[in-house]
Amino acid sequence: MTATATSATATAGTATSPGRSIVAFCCRECAYAAADASANARRPLPPSVRLVLMPCTGRVSPLHLLRALAEGADGVMVAGCLLGQCHYREGNFNAVDRVAFVQRLLESVGVEPERCRMFTMSAGEPPKFVAAVREMDRVVGGLPPLPRSSDGQSRTTHDGTRAAAASQQPPARTRRTA
Amino acid sequence: MPLTNRGRQILSRVPGGHLQSTTGVGCTIVRHEELCVGCGTCARDCPSGASERGDFFDVTQLLDAPDGSRRGELGAALRVLMRHEPDGPIEVPERVTVYRTIVHDDDRCLGCGTCARTCPAGAIEARPPEAGAASAEATAAPAASGGEVRP
Repeated sequence: MTATATSATATAGTATSPGRSIVAFCCRECAYAAADASANARRPLPPSVRLVLMPCTGRVSPLHLLRALAEGADGVMVAGCLLGQCHYREGNFNAVDRVAFVQRLLESVGVEPERCRMFTMSAGEPPKFVAAVREMDRVVGGLPPLPRSSDGQSRTTHDGTRAAAASQQPPARTRRTA
Repeated sequence: MPLTNRGRQILSRVPGGHLQSTTGVGCTIVRHEELCVGCGTCARDCPSGASERGDFFDVTQLLDAPDGSRRGELGAALRVLMRHEPDGPIEVPERVTVYRTIVHDDDRCLGCGTCARTCPAGAIEARPPEAGAASAEATAAPAASGGEVRP
């Protein structure tokens, strides 16, 4: 699911840009079309950005955004249709709230919430898309690099009581409800 | 013993009706929040409205969630990024439904164990009254053990 996004960021972080890398989750109907048109019009995008095509911004889950940040992106942006003009009626409203949720999540653990942002534009507004990406690039470029702890290290710092209570439980039926 | 929602409605229609309280015979509901997936099945099926999806989300639920679950994956990503322990519960936007902490109101809970029976994640345990409450009452009502529900 997030494999394309994460592999893109992993290469982006190491290979090309000495600066920052931004992952843009773009809705197919509007933002990706706008990005396409901006490329045809030869408006350069900042080299830090990696585009990820989504069927609709309503598909973007908090896991997409956090994984991208955890695996190498310095900022993530969600670009969708204008509010009220989603091709699936309400997808971008869901995305707005999920982005707000991720921002609060980041804020509560001490990460700058500006690293995750939502933009809206129509398919006929390539300049707006380019401006959004540049804005994101500027904001993220002004932030310090995102420190990452190696996974599993801080797991032991968590209290063992709850983990013990969990292990006493019968094995939970894993069912994907999210 | 608390009333169901329907019981409260009926009581409000009875002129001069008042609740004759009895001692609780239901199970003790123990929630294991780290296993909760936030689906809201318990809130939907609760006959008394004791379990509800709250307006806040406790971030430590993500960090404690088992590996391989959706919340566990989110928690793993968050653990990589976090600079300090979570500040506390965060307010959840309206359209985010899954990442909410279920609020369980013990005063309204009947102890029927419906939530424990329907929970798809096995996160709710209904302990029969013998285990938790006074043993004298438990011996007086042996039929209550029929209400035991395994999570």
